[in-house]
Amino acid sequence: MSREVYICDMEPIITIRNLSKNYGEKVALNNINLDIYPGQIIGYIGPNGAGKSTTVKILAGIIQDYSGDVQVAGIDLAENVLEVKKKIGYIPELPEMYDLLTPREYLTFIGKLFHLPDELIESRTVKMLSSFGLKDNIDQRMDGFSKGMRQKVLITSGLLHNPQIIIMDEPLSGLDANAVIIVKELLQVLKAEGRTVFYCSHMMDVVERVSDRIVLIDKGAIVADGTIEELRKDSSDSLEKIFAKLTLSEDNTERTGSFASVFKDEIENPTTPHE
Amino acid sequence: MNRVLLFLIMLPSGLWKRLGADIAQLQAILKVKLMMDNRKPLSFGNNKGMEHRKKKDRKYTVWLTMFLSFFMGIMYVLPIIITKFDTVIGLTFFYTMFVFVFTFTLITDFANVLIDTKDKFILFPRPVTDRTIMLSRLLYIMIYLLRLVIPMSIPAWIVFGLIKGWKGALFFPVPVLLMVFVVLFLVSAMYIIMLRVAKPGRFKDVLNYFQIIFSVFFFAVWMLSSRMINPESFQALEVQAYDWVKYFPTYWMATCWTWVDNTAKVLPGTRWMSVLAIVFPFVSLWATVRFLAPAFIKSLVASDNSNEAKPVQKKEGADTKKSKVQLYKWAEMLNKNNAAKAGFILTWLQTSRSRNFKMRVYPSFAYVPVYFFFILMQGGSSFSEVWEGLSEGTGYIGLLYLTTFVIMQAINYITMSEQYKSAWVYYSAPVEKPGEVIAGAYKAMWVKYFLPFMAAISAFTVVVWGGSVIFDVIIATVNITLFSVVIMRMSNRALPFSRKEQIKDSGLKTIVRVLGTLLLMGVLAITHLALVGLASPTDSSFTLDLSGFFNTRWLTIISFSLKLVLLILSSIFLWLVFDSLKNTDWKSLQKAEQHI
Repeated sequence: MSREVYICDMEPIITIRNLSKNYGEKVALNNINLDIYPGQIIGYIGPNGAGKSTTVKILAGIIQDYSGDVQVAGIDLAENVLEVKKKIGYIPELPEMYDLLTPREYLTFIGKLFHLPDELIESRTVKMLSSFGLKDNIDQRMDGFSKGMRQKVLITSGLLHNPQIIIMDEPLSGLDANAVIIVKELLQVLKAEGRTVFYCSHMMDVVERVSDRIVLIDKGAIVADGTIEELRKDSSDSLEKIFAKLTLSEDNTERTGSFASVFKDEIENPTTPHE
Repeated sequence: MNRVLLFLIMLPSGLWKRLGADIAQLQAILKVKLMMDNRKPLSFGNNKGMEHRKKKDRKYTVWLTMFLSFFMGIMYVLPIIITKFDTVIGLTFFYTMFVFVFTFTLITDFANVLIDTKDKFILFPRPVTDRTIMLSRLLYIMIYLLRLVIPMSIPAWIVFGLIKGWKGALFFPVPVLLMVFVVLFLVSAMYIIMLRVAKPGRFKDVLNYFQIIFSVFFFAVWMLSSRMINPESFQALEVQAYDWVKYFPTYWMATCWTWVDNTAKVLPGTRWMSVLAIVFPFVSLWATVRFLAPAFIKSLVASDNSNEAKPVQKKEGADTKKSKVQLYKWAEMLNKNNAAKAGFILTWLQTSRSRNFKMRVYPSFAYVPVYFFFILMQGGSSFSEVWEGLSEGTGYIGLLYLTTFVIMQAINYITMSEQYKSAWVYYSAPVEKPGEVIAGAYKAMWVKYFLPFMAAISAFTVVVWGGSVIFDVIIATVNITLFSVVIMRMSNRALPFSRKEQIKDSGLKTIVRVLGTLLLMGVLAITHLALVGLASPTDSSFTLDLSGFFNTRWLTIISFSLKLVLLILSSIFLWLVFDSLKNTDWKSLQKAEQHI
């Protein structure tokens, strides 16, 4: 419902036209077309290897050799990747950071790459990390951090320059329950401020709850696009079920069943010796 | 130290800006990289309490390295002395040596810096241009280079200060700095050519072999040329005699000295070439950053992405499947328990695929013959003379023991890996004695690298020296094995691929240990050589001449029986040490890891 309103009122902030990308012979993305409007949270989902990360990496300016046309806030990505990067905050799936640094040092470094003034970096760093409960860890080296602590620093580093568009790839991984609540609240705040969030995840229940619009891709192509209600089409299926229906040809239950029965079969027919 | 270097590097920031870099970003990147260098990561299984102690050690080693570089620098003064302080020709030699040595160092050591894709997720999504990234890498390498070059050129600097006065002393660093740019350009140009030539995705493998070939090439040229050039021919050295030298950038740098030194002799009509010395480094740097950087960064991304996306293509082919079955059979045969088998198989497979491992170990195969001829040619005789006289002497003993190099390189690197964190599996698995895993890993290295190489060398030895040397081959094999197991037990007792790759920096302790082990090797090899020499005293300089007391037949018998004793003793020691390695438990492993 809300989607139609946006289409009438606003220019899309991200326009993707005929986007394709191959790795050698393997097709990663096959003719993707997508319009994304400001102030929306887009749940971008799909099975492993469907092309989610490739899309996200193209938007973040990491992959630059693709075919097709991508416009971000009216800027052509191929022509001015630097301007696009300034508007985007990218939170990658793996918490790759220079973990020999302290959060303060690392975030100062990132801030400098965006030409933020030192005082601003400092104040944002302290405020953002404090809200994640990392105030006491601000001057400790990250190589001793837990996965969740790293993830918090990673999220902070993606939001530090106050980007218009935020791309999150599995942002909740490793976070404890309290931090999950903070991130979910953060998503709503960002949305309220008119920012666009591109949210990639495998956690269907979270996607279902936070997203204004869900885009499902499989084998490099969009197979479903709409609000959760639109995807349900009057059925009462959960997103998980819809996902399975659209992306699995064989019966899912049979697969999991056969996985679980491996040990049972071994006990019943002890052909292989095991220790 | 770093702060000073960073300051110096950022001095010509106007120049960097013209090259297309963003100064603030450039400085931020360099600062972070240098900061990280000073912080050593904790290796897996180490507790945090170690941190402080190690930090201190580190500082001490920085100075130690610089001190050693200074001593090496004294070596570089030699061509200047040999050429009787002829400014231009002496310095041409000096610069050429420097360029050679540093290009060599950079190709092997800084490949990882230049083609690092680890910060892909950190730098590439941020608004940083390709040129900035490229320049940050080049300057980062340059800081390293300066850290080596400065202490190494100090002795020559002093010499020039003494003979040329204050002008010379002041001027000395200028051409040296220009030379650093040339080295930087040479290395990056070579890498960029490689990136262009190789298909994306395969380029890291191609690069790997390229590096190996180059390091062997440089090593061979370096070793052999320094032998072949007869110092006596320098006596009447005149610039005129080496006309071709004017085509080399190092000569141009040397001609710079005509600016401050009126007595400097140059080739007729080449005085203007000093201008080239200034122009060439900057034009080449400009070309690198301006034209090659985007292609460079793009192929880096491409190579990395295609690696990610094509795991299917890396699938093992049908023939490797067969060899894998063979590998499992060997693992069964050579190891008694499952922990050892696991260590054996893991080490075998990992060393076949790890680029870094190959990079470090494979050149050593080539170093052995190069070293061998280098030692033989020390007398100054020509290659053909050496070749003809080869079968007469006891040179094969030296050759056989040189193979130590191969197994040493191999075992030195099996404990290290980029993915050292993956070593958690050992700790979570029900491994009773980690020593079993280590012993399995050692066996894999022995079977995979040492055995075939030793077989090849032995075949060569038998062909040249005749079948009678087979017994010596066996003794040498046992001795080298004993020696390498001792090293493994004493200074390299860690689980395979469990440590972060880094320069060993426990300072003095390492030096003492290295000297100790070398002493052991020397004792083993020289005892062997002496026993061989007993039988034919005229060929060997390392032995007692007993020919006055016994006839030749008796001498042969005595030599043989003593060699047999040596073999038996070595075998017993080998068994004991290996057993002790195998029985390493968790407690002693932890202790050993702290001392590495």
